Amino acid sequence: MTTERRRLLVALLATVAVLAPVGWFWQASLVPGTYSVMDMGYPDYGGGPSAMTHHDLMGRSIATLVEDPDRPADVRVTLTVRKQRFRLASGQQVDGYTVNGTSPGPVIHAVQGQLVQVRLVNASVPGGVTLHWHGVDVPNAEDGVAGVTQDAVPVGGSFTYRFVADQVGTYWYHSHQVSHAQVQGGLLGALVVTPKPPTPAPATASTQVDQLAVLHVYDGKPTVNGASGDVPVDAPDGATVRVRIVNTDNGATPVWTSGSPFRVLAVDGYELHGPTPVSNRAVRLTAGGRADLEVTAPARVELGGASALVIGSGAPAASPQPTRLVDFLTYGAPAPLGFDPTKADRRFRYSIGRRPGFVDGRPGLWWSINGHLFPDVPMFVVEEGDIVQMHLENHSGAVHPMHLHGHHAVVLARNGVKATGSPWWIDSLDVAGGDNYDIAFVADNPGIWMDHCHNLPHAAQGLVAHLMYAGLTEPFRVGGGKDNQPE
Amino acid sequence: MRNVYRVLAYLLSIEVLVQGMAIAYAIAGLGKWVEDDGGVLNKQVMDSDNADFPGIGGFAIHGINGTMIIPLVVLLLLIVSFFAKVPGGVKRAAILFGLVALQIFLGIFAHSVPFVIVLHVLNAFAIFIGAFMTGRAASTVAAPAEAAVAV
Repeated sequence: MTTERRRLLVALLATVAVLAPVGWFWQASLVPGTYSVMDMGYPDYGGGPSAMTHHDLMGRSIATLVEDPDRPADVRVTLTVRKQRFRLASGQQVDGYTVNGTSPGPVIHAVQGQLVQVRLVNASVPGGVTLHWHGVDVPNAEDGVAGVTQDAVPVGGSFTYRFVADQVGTYWYHSHQVSHAQVQGGLLGALVVTPKPPTPAPATASTQVDQLAVLHVYDGKPTVNGASGDVPVDAPDGATVRVRIVNTDNGATPVWTSGSPFRVLAVDGYELHGPTPVSNRAVRLTAGGRADLEVTAPARVELGGASALVIGSGAPAASPQPTRLVDFLTYGAPAPLGFDPTKADRRFRYSIGRRPGFVDGRPGLWWSINGHLFPDVPMFVVEEGDIVQMHLENHSGAVHPMHLHGHHAVVLARNGVKATGSPWWIDSLDVAGGDNYDIAFVADNPGIWMDHCHNLPHAAQGLVAHLMYAGLTEPFRVGGGKDNQPE
Repeated sequence: MRNVYRVLAYLLSIEVLVQGMAIAYAIAGLGKWVEDDGGVLNKQVMDSDNADFPGIGGFAIHGINGTMIIPLVVLLLLIVSFFAKVPGGVKRAAILFGLVALQIFLGIFAHSVPFVIVLHVLNAFAIFIGAFMTGRAASTVAAPAEAAVAV
């Protein structure tokens, strides 16, 4: 009997030895029903001074970080969002979300320097909505992240966004409440900021055509501006066409031209310096990213292989995807950055891995940040005016399109190889498995900013960290009565 | 306990079959979708998570089953082995536990180095055979003293 009891005791101890760590990790992973992102994880000062952050009650509320309220708006738009069944330009029926009755939603046009005022009205989206201005470095309270910069707008509610469109380029807006479902369902649209027209207008201007191409996959079918297949674009022969391509999906897509060269004028809203003509190469457009291509009509711009813009009459036949890519590390000509990244005040590491564990009590293989699982992830703390370097690494075996809100960063190096082309400014950067990037930016936009994977299901799985300026307080909460769910 | 041990071991071997069938169905469905229906699969469509063809659910089943359910089964098998008094039962369960851990690692690593999938398939056979034999061993070797207390 004693042997029997000893056996049982050993078995019980062995069970405890196996289950205790599992139970402990499970318990430690539980996320409270409501929390402030400021209380998430642990502060990472990147080697800079460890400024007061947590529970700094003396700080300024991020809700006050708005555009000058006394300045009148130049562009006023009302966007009414609905959950409904709708028909795309291609005729395809989709159960999803519309903005003013369509998806993609209306294009917002602004001239550089104009104040854009957008009133968001939630007519029928259960669970609430927000609008995030992807790539526009807006004041923090206008960033549209539920539970971080505002509360989700419930059905029947509204929220007004105001920001100055001071950077020309191609941008987009989308919901940042339950974003993995709402963006996929079509709650998105484009924002185009054009330069002030020169005065007087140049006498010998050739014909210019500006063409937007918003890429989105609805129910598994790739579309461009809601249409699919070959989409005709009117343009006289010889016209210079600027094609503004927006990737609103969760994965990168290749774009290229058939039969004629192109130039890449801009990436993520920033003009490239000295772009040269490219043939037989594709641009790999990051999820959430934008690229402005210049072609001369007639031309054919292939958008991922499933759809294409057929520009002008007599466009060339479709050609298969080139195997080589445009490498923005070397594309274009160097130009001054406007700051010295070698004089960085803080250096952060954002290392993405993948490991088994629990996130909010759910077992699985999860994305990790610097070895930690959500929500125990680093909070990157900066002070206004800091020059910041960030080293992005990806050991997870999957591509991650990393998106930093409120800032544009310049790529310094990939896998240790220094950038030698045009300054390559990004707000969305594909970091492939096994790759690493060094990027730098100036901390010039106070607030609490998401720094996350724009493969939105990955964000929902916990690939989310934040950049936080010292001395601010966070009035909003994730979860809770407002049911804020930014991912 | 011995019966629970045996059932879990057999369940593990069946789970390996489910894994193989799920992923094969998904790839067959994908092939037909591309060849007959003109479907285009690129990163954009893949990550939209809503492409639609017969068998597409196999990818999700393979992922969820492989990273959640199978680890749970093998963990239970290990715990039950402490109590089941199957000769060599703990050792067998621990080896299966290790093979499953290795299998998950190989599955993920294959996303970076595709050739690794060959080892993933080989290891799947090892788990299948190992689990099946573990189940059989627990059925056939019956110690007389334990037959009476078997649940």
